[in-house]
Amino acid sequence: MTIEPFAPVHLLAVLPEILLVVLAGVLITADLALPAARKRELGLYAAVGFGLVLGVTLLVTLPTVSGGLIFGGMLRHDLIAFAFRVLFLFAGVVTALIAVDSPTIGKEGEFFLVLTAAVLGMNLMAAAADLIMLYVAIEMTSIGLYALAGFLRENDKSAESGLKYFLFGAFTSSLMLYGFSLLYGFTGQTNLYNLAAALTGLPLEASLLALLLVLVGFGFKVSMVPFHFWAPDVYEGAPTPVTAFLSVASKAAGFAVLIRFLLAAFPGIESIWTTLIAVIAALTMTIGNVIALTQKNIKRLLAYSSIAQAGYMLMGLAALSANGVSAILYYLGMYTLTNLVAFGVIVLVGRVTGSDEIADYAGLSRRSPGLALALLVAFLSLGGIPPLAGFFGKFYLFTSVMQSGLVWLAIVGLVNAIISLYYYLIVLKVVYLGTPKDEAAVYPVPRPYQLALWACALGVIFVGAVIGPWVNIAAAAAGGLF
Amino acid sequence: MIPTSYYLALSAVLFAIGVTGVLTRRNAIIVFMSVELMLNSANLTFVAFARQFMDLSGQVFVFFVMVVAAAEVAVGLALIVAIFRSKQSISLDELNQLKG
Amino acid sequence: MFSLVPLVVLFPLAGFAANAFFGRQLGAARAGLLAVLAAGAAFLVAVVQLAALAGNGFAPVTVPVAEWLRVGDFHVAWAFQVDTLSVTMMLVVAGVGTLIHIYALGYMREDVQHNGDPGRYPRFFVYLNLFLASMLVLVGADNFLMLFVGWEGVGLCSYLLIGFWFEKGAAGLGNARAAMKAFVVNRIGDFGLLLAMFLIYWTFGTLTFSELFERLKTVRLDATGQLIVTAITLLLLLGATGKSAQLPLYVWLPDAMAGPTPVSALIHAATMVTAGIYMITRNHVLFALAPQSMEVVAWIGAATALFAGTIAVAQTDIKRVLAYSTISQLGFMIAAVGLGAYVAGMFHLVTHAFFKALLFLSAGSVIQAVERGGAQGGAHAGQSAEAHHDPQDMRFMGGLWGKLPITQWVFLIGALALAGLPPLAGFFSKDEILLDAFEHNPAIFWVLVAAAFLTAFYMGRQLLLVFFGQPRSTAAAHATESPAVVTTPLIILALLSFFGGLLNLPKFGLYGYAGSLLLKEFLSFSVEAEALPFNAFVAGLSTVLALAALGLAYVLYGRAQATAQDRDPLAALLGPVFGWLRDKWYVDELYGFLVVTPFNTLSQLAARALDLGGVDMTFNNLGELARAVGAGLARFQLGYARRYALVMFLGAVAVLAYFLIAR
Repeated sequence: MTIEPFAPVHLLAVLPEILLVVLAGVLITADLALPAARKRELGLYAAVGFGLVLGVTLLVTLPTVSGGLIFGGMLRHDLIAFAFRVLFLFAGVVTALIAVDSPTIGKEGEFFLVLTAAVLGMNLMAAAADLIMLYVAIEMTSIGLYALAGFLRENDKSAESGLKYFLFGAFTSSLMLYGFSLLYGFTGQTNLYNLAAALTGLPLEASLLALLLVLVGFGFKVSMVPFHFWAPDVYEGAPTPVTAFLSVASKAAGFAVLIRFLLAAFPGIESIWTTLIAVIAALTMTIGNVIALTQKNIKRLLAYSSIAQAGYMLMGLAALSANGVSAILYYLGMYTLTNLVAFGVIVLVGRVTGSDEIADYAGLSRRSPGLALALLVAFLSLGGIPPLAGFFGKFYLFTSVMQSGLVWLAIVGLVNAIISLYYYLIVLKVVYLGTPKDEAAVYPVPRPYQLALWACALGVIFVGAVIGPWVNIAAAAAGGLF
Repeated sequence: MIPTSYYLALSAVLFAIGVTGVLTRRNAIIVFMSVELMLNSANLTFVAFARQFMDLSGQVFVFFVMVVAAAEVAVGLALIVAIFRSKQSISLDELNQLKG
Repeated sequence: MFSLVPLVVLFPLAGFAANAFFGRQLGAARAGLLAVLAAGAAFLVAVVQLAALAGNGFAPVTVPVAEWLRVGDFHVAWAFQVDTLSVTMMLVVAGVGTLIHIYALGYMREDVQHNGDPGRYPRFFVYLNLFLASMLVLVGADNFLMLFVGWEGVGLCSYLLIGFWFEKGAAGLGNARAAMKAFVVNRIGDFGLLLAMFLIYWTFGTLTFSELFERLKTVRLDATGQLIVTAITLLLLLGATGKSAQLPLYVWLPDAMAGPTPVSALIHAATMVTAGIYMITRNHVLFALAPQSMEVVAWIGAATALFAGTIAVAQTDIKRVLAYSTISQLGFMIAAVGLGAYVAGMFHLVTHAFFKALLFLSAGSVIQAVERGGAQGGAHAGQSAEAHHDPQDMRFMGGLWGKLPITQWVFLIGALALAGLPPLAGFFSKDEILLDAFEHNPAIFWVLVAAAFLTAFYMGRQLLLVFFGQPRSTAAAHATESPAVVTTPLIILALLSFFGGLLNLPKFGLYGYAGSLLLKEFLSFSVEAEALPFNAFVAGLSTVLALAALGLAYVLYGRAQATAQDRDPLAALLGPVFGWLRDKWYVDELYGFLVVTPFNTLSQLAARALDLGGVDMTFNNLGELARAVGAGLARFQLGYARRYALVMFLGAVAVLAYFLIAR
């Protein structure tokens, strides 16, 4: 792949990132300038800022998509990068909206600043085509996320989750870095797209060693087994808006780099790593689903559920086809919307009841039918019930897997989907059929909140009902990788 | 000229020491130090290969890694301090509120 | 104009939906009116289709409405087939249906008062409109699948309407049981129809009538092909025996009388039960290829006609007599189509719809008259000494002539039409069937003649028991006529029963005249049938026998019993045989013993041992297993960071091992 010499249009390609830097500046200034009473607006600025950048991305960067390597080979401006950017920015908008009225983090300017930095890092992760860029972007994101997870320093759980996240993250990313160094050493290249050619002449063990180390790093981000142990603890301990962002954007970013890296750098040894990924996918799904059956805390439940969802998506990777990658993209889109809705509800309920235990959700349908309905839509979509988007996501994943001949994996996936249905429905049962402890509790839903929840919930239904355009986009993006 | 393989062996040893430190030590700061050790072993590898290939990419990479490591230290130590404030201890074994 | 045909279904469907969702807000009067308007609109659309057909030279037209299923080669659409056969059915169904809707306005108002739940009134019209829509889908369908949708729809509505007063009936369950019986027995027939559809698709590759018949025209059948076609037609016959209440699946119809009288009239006399005959007629091309099946069809029809007739002569419930009479007349129609006399069968279908609906509706009028009399009589005499009796029991009627001026005359006309006296409609239609039997299958002819004799006899018996002699109860003594909204449809139906023969008058030898064989001409565009010349012997024989039967009835019942407790004169004549007849030849008990009880035992076994014990246990255990595994795995996640790191490291080692092995 040739590196295009610099042209001004390339700046348009990174315009979203530039604007994010500007947004960060705006947020710092606003944080300093605003009096304490108006600090709430910071979140709104952030949300509006993300929204604007999202608009710019859609309007300006889309037309310039060329699929070429720009900025000296650091970034690849293709459809898949674009698709992921949209996802991250959308997640950023919703997270900012959810966090706005939070009593603990809503008024902290640094929170939104770090959020912006994390989103910026993720954007770069999705587009990175060089080892250096990749590492810097991953670390930028990760460090931001460590800070976000441990943001509530006084809260024991939050601090613990931050530290755990940090330690594991640092550990695995240094493993990954060592892998990068070996790759560089074996091939003399840092550009992903040159690695494959350079690796073919080398003994197999070299590629395998590098692959192993790299896989550890990416596996951590994606929470695949056996690198998933941080996920339940961090998801439970972090402030809930952060959990929402983590579960959605960080996972998507992990998949972005995993897909791009594996397909670009290691196509030669596909046969070895597809089986490995398939086995890992099966294990991840099963472990995630099975442990979720025993959970009493809803954030932990969703953490294990996210692990399982990662397992499903790994299936698409194991399929090693454009269909598989397109299925992953569709699934990520659906998963973003769905998880944001679910966590949106959890944030609100947590704010009112002060608890994240499932038992405290009893009778939610009577106290706040709207929130219960949103939770219903989200959980049913996660469980894979038609006609919601989750069903089609799973359908496409299973189809791509079977088309690639991994029928056993599809069967495992199916069984897992059935198992997962139990814990989703249990929560819904508690919500709809339980008796509320406090009948009079009122669940005020602030305006920005309503907007976020409505947009996402409708999105879940809509993306499921009218699947054509989304699948086409995903397929087009995936095609660019092959 | 010292053969590259010597450097690689050294960095491998450092890496192994780092991994062992992470896995076996209870003190959060020691664990963190071990992670830094691993990062540095990677840096050593980069520099060694950069010298072998006479290619600057490796050295550039090292700069970035150092910057990242610094940022990581900032955040990481802040988190460790936060834990210390509430628990008066930085033993990893006492971090078990989140479980199941 | 043909494009309007979907409205024939959409109007009643709209009535159904409006009443279903807004019935309570609309109130009883408006709900009923809406339903009547919907039915009337459907009838008008059917008339428009008739006009359109006439303008088109009576050639058949297919009106597609929407795509339905398209899976590979399998293609089925929602489309209407507008030809003379389906328009005939539409006119009968919608026309008689509208009249019965009007009747039901008045009848149900009294019925809901009598049964104590006035709020249920709109629900009746919801079901009734839905039934009409389903029946029209059935007759208008251009393919088997759409026909099946209508078939099932009418079955459902039949269930809902029979069990309309679901909490009443014998032991509080009787009506619900009857509804269930109707549904289940129909299901057996439906199963036959489904199998036939599968076979048709599998053999001929299409379910659309026009395509199927095209393919059948050029098909050449070898031995297996013949076997398949015979199987198909016999399975279609099974479906028809279920819906049209023939041997052996007729047992639901007498019990279906538990439903309100308009239901009995519309569904179990005039329309739904004719679906089987319509289906066979529609598929005449198929049946023509399987002569053995046609033989079977004819014999089942004839046997049923006779069998049901023997039971009818011994019944005491006014509606049961009519129910068995319906089964018998349906037997006539089935025999006719089995003989290839499609026009005769359809003609009898039309006239039967007129006079049987008339008879049922007038029976309903009589029943309500007796109920009113009972309420009044009880009020007059304080507490009546006689026990509370079933208003439908003919033994407690009598002497109603003169008290119910309109009902009596229309009932008489209906009864005589059914008996087959010229020049009423029943004579001409029944005569055609007998004529065809005479020409083609003398054995069947004599069976049908015997059945016709019995028909006239039990109708005479019913007339005499209900209207003549002395009133055998205070209720009968104080009976009063029904309101105009009830009697007006009766009058219209009576006129149709009287003049209905004009639809298809036979040619007298060389003397043809305008209007003769009208129906045959009309139907000839859909169904071929031969026009047999008028045979004086057959006509004369049937008339003479009818009169003789009426005379015999007069002899036995003319000097009717003075009290209800007196023994039925026929019982004296027949001895123990009367008991068998009255108890329906113990067929229900036989079925119970052979089929129902073993099936129930098997179900209990399957439910308790197999399902609860086996399947449920397995899945419960699987669930427990999953949870146990989860709990076990969760013990790895105890919160100790070092433990996590260790497992991660071991995982990485495992992957390395895999790599080393796999390379």
